Amino acid sequence: MSELRAQLQEWRSAVDNWLPPWWRRALVALLIVVGIVLPLLFSSASGFMNATIIAVAYAVMSLGLNIVVGFAGLLDLGYVAFYALGAYSLGWFGSGFFFKAHIHVLVSPVASTLPGVHLNFILILIGAGLICAAAGVVIGLPTLRLRGDYIAIVTLAFGEIIGVVAVNGQSVHVGDGMTLTAGNLGISAVDQPYFPGIGSFNLLNLRPWYWLIFAILLVVLFVNLRLRDSRLGRAWVALREDEVAAVSMGIPLVKTKLLAYAIGAAFGGMSGAFFGTYYTEVNAGQFQFGFSIFILAMVIIGGLGSIWGAVVGGLALGYINNYLIPDVLNGIPAKLGFNFQLTEVEFGIFGFLLVIMMVLRPQGLIPERRRRLELTAEIAPADAQLAEAPGTPGDGT
Amino acid sequence: MAARPLAAVRRYFGRWGLIVALAALPIYYGISDLTNGYQAGFVAGHAVIHHDLSKLGFNFAEGLSNGAIWALIAIGYTLVYGIIELINFAHGDVFMIGSFTAVGLWGTLGLGLTTGALGLIGGLIVALIITMIVTGSLNVLIERVAYRPLRGAPKLASLITAVGFSFILQNVGLLWRGGSPQSVNDLIRAQQPVFTIAGVPILRGYILAFAVMIPLVFGLTWFINATRAGRAMRATAQDPEAARLMGINVNATISLTFLLGGMLAGAAGLVYALYETNVWYFQGFKAGLIAFTAAVMGGIGNVRGAVLGGLIIGVIQSLSDSRLGPQWTEAVVFGYLIAIMVLRPRGLLGEETREAG
Amino acid sequence: MNPTETPAPPAPPVVSVLRAEHVTKTFGGLVAVNDISFDIPQHSIVSLIGPNGAGKTTLFNMLTGLYRPTEGRILLGERDITRARPDVITKHGVARTFQNIRLFGAMTAVENVMVGHHARMRAGLFGSIFRPPWVRREERETREHARELLAYVGLREPVFDRLAAQLPYGDQRRVEIARALASQPRLLLLDEPTAGMNPHESQALTEFMQTLRDELKLTILLIEHDMKVVMGVSERVTVLDYGKKIAEGEPAVVRADPGVIEAYLGRQE
Repeated sequence: MSELRAQLQEWRSAVDNWLPPWWRRALVALLIVVGIVLPLLFSSASGFMNATIIAVAYAVMSLGLNIVVGFAGLLDLGYVAFYALGAYSLGWFGSGFFFKAHIHVLVSPVASTLPGVHLNFILILIGAGLICAAAGVVIGLPTLRLRGDYIAIVTLAFGEIIGVVAVNGQSVHVGDGMTLTAGNLGISAVDQPYFPGIGSFNLLNLRPWYWLIFAILLVVLFVNLRLRDSRLGRAWVALREDEVAAVSMGIPLVKTKLLAYAIGAAFGGMSGAFFGTYYTEVNAGQFQFGFSIFILAMVIIGGLGSIWGAVVGGLALGYINNYLIPDVLNGIPAKLGFNFQLTEVEFGIFGFLLVIMMVLRPQGLIPERRRRLELTAEIAPADAQLAEAPGTPGDGT
Repeated sequence: MAARPLAAVRRYFGRWGLIVALAALPIYYGISDLTNGYQAGFVAGHAVIHHDLSKLGFNFAEGLSNGAIWALIAIGYTLVYGIIELINFAHGDVFMIGSFTAVGLWGTLGLGLTTGALGLIGGLIVALIITMIVTGSLNVLIERVAYRPLRGAPKLASLITAVGFSFILQNVGLLWRGGSPQSVNDLIRAQQPVFTIAGVPILRGYILAFAVMIPLVFGLTWFINATRAGRAMRATAQDPEAARLMGINVNATISLTFLLGGMLAGAAGLVYALYETNVWYFQGFKAGLIAFTAAVMGGIGNVRGAVLGGLIIGVIQSLSDSRLGPQWTEAVVFGYLIAIMVLRPRGLLGEETREAG
Repeated sequence: MNPTETPAPPAPPVVSVLRAEHVTKTFGGLVAVNDISFDIPQHSIVSLIGPNGAGKTTLFNMLTGLYRPTEGRILLGERDITRARPDVITKHGVARTFQNIRLFGAMTAVENVMVGHHARMRAGLFGSIFRPPWVRREERETREHARELLAYVGLREPVFDRLAAQLPYGDQRRVEIARALASQPRLLLLDEPTAGMNPHESQALTEFMQTLRDELKLTILLIEHDMKVVMGVSERVTVLDYGKKIAEGEPAVVRADPGVIEAYLGRQE
């Protein structure tokens, strides 16, 4: 096994040496170009495009959770709360739900005649981000002094509470006959995104939707990359590695952790707002605990703490969940003689994937830099004799 | 910063603060019932208002009985956490499998609504034993496959495999009995009152719950305190390395812990099926969180605490169901969970837990 | 800024960088540190010694804010830091190393030292995202400063960008010191810095500490078990036993103190 690994390392370094030094950036640029051009290769209402849009939105969520769990090491099992709040931001500020209000900002000519609060989608996006950032702080605050598995339970509990509020919000009155949410019936007839000069989106043409979420992905990706290699990013990793040492080096514990929660939540909220408008409704049934695990699985399968891993994980699971299983492989059990469809065992497949992943490759598909370097770094001969446990004589300079 | 006043609140909160917070609800509603009265029914178009404590009594009776079920499940959580410091996320779903197995066995054993009392009791005892064996073994299997290979790995990895297993089990339940709650035979006529105490009807279901829980808890406590294997469990929970050095087979002890916890969850599953007369593939997830809350409230790692916590949570649930409405109960229970975790993580009977860093 | 308890000495006034007054720490029933008062003169090297379990690391942890004293006060200059958070204390000029090396394994040696500089940097959330010129300059300077510090403590350049977890033990110790220096402290706390070193290395570290004191104008408090180092480098030695201060003074004086001898010898058998 280790011989195989050594051989793979050899090939990898050979390829690395053969490629020009800027190959990584070129690859990213190529991927971006492919990403932009992709919809033109498919019909404007194809099922594959639908799955891709959802997968990209999942990738945004995955990047958000990656900040909380991957960078800062805070095990958040209630991420669905931010999906919900993001979606409700759209439901509140981009539909006729609050029918007593008449607020319109930069919306389509049709929407500006309708009752309710109608803001331009970009404004809602920002609003969702801010609301979720605040919620992230509220949820994170009680967890600051807790150990890892307790953080998981507390965040899970918050996620469930948000779910309960979402369902019961239909009986919570916020004045003048309006309620907080529409429970399981859902807020429907939400606005589609509208941009002056481009017009309103509609679900017959998926391309603008795709470009919108792809643009959001690029922005979130950019922020992630910048944060990772910054003072704040280093502070997060330090806190994750050794909290005691980190605070002793001058890193403020509360502020740094809350920032991780807030930013991670904000990205989840932005993606949630997009889902709200793409699915054309916001109902409480969309927000279950399983979703939190789904996003967590994306981060973990992709590679905990790895930005590209989170993207790959999000895309992969998004495709598997929304395309591979329902559209491509659904009929397979029937063909094998079982009388259920693949979608019925989706949950179980998913659980199985989680178990397999943890046992076989816990570092994920694209491991965070540390693990990758551990696998590929060669220790120079001079150091080889020096790498030993503390307590023995060192290198004698 | 925010952490400072919180620490001060936490210090002064203490065990008595938690007790006060828990007692506040029943005391408030008791007083409210006595003074304002509550609606006990409708007669000839008018609401009948009572000014007594029987509604509160009902809350306690129903709450404690439900709580007995949660207690059995909570013990499983607390034992496992005490010994390997891990939340067995799949435990609630083991309980669900227990319910499903029990119901399946009733069919196999031919237990039905017309079965005579003696046959019924005998059949149920057989079903109980078999169910407990099945769920106990299932729990042991989960430990072998999901936890043992990852014992050296960070805790996150084990948590994830546990969740994965939870999903697998739920899917099994889904395929077994479908996605909606399924009615099952009311074999013991669980809602029938046996006698009445101070205006509060004591239902057969209540007696069943305690009739199963009390002997099992006593049996378990005896086992842990009096037998060699039980001593091994306590030793391993305190210090696994030292236990290993003393010659204790730590792996076997851990498996034993999972076995016992699983068996109790199976018993809880059977009682639940008899009591609620319906089963649902999703019941394990809900029950799991409630039971875990109970374990934390009582003091994680402490069996008496788990029982106490279960009973308390049951009462809180009943109060919330009948006063605030069942749609809010989950939020109330989780609100308590968060408050306990933040203000007194060690719970009522637990020892000081190590906090972050 | 004279110490207020003693009468004005004939020599030039001695400035205290840090002063502990009647500091006590109890954990439940255990008294780990019992009514200790001492101060650390500026630009000096003070050693804290005592048998295992005497309370030295507990005292360190209180000085750096990880524990809060049950009683007593700690003053940094004129500032009361008794109840201050660790990161605030670092910002005011106290840095430390740990008995068991606590580097951030997932980061390179350079990045570890850059983290040490955290309190002196100003880039916040938006600075980190948008990277205006001043942030880019700050990052560049921090990185250069980190590399200089690593060279200063004697690390070889090829390992600067190696993950901290992969470094040999001696190098890890160096990185830890560089990381502590990165916060530009006035007071450096070293917890058993020569643990695991051979006599040659201990000597090198001793000289290095003197260099730090002289070149960087640092004040150093160290916990040590190696008596040669203690005697060789300290201007003053404080001895703890069972949480109490049993002796304090110049190394030669302390070494001959009967109470100190008993505390050590009495424990060895």
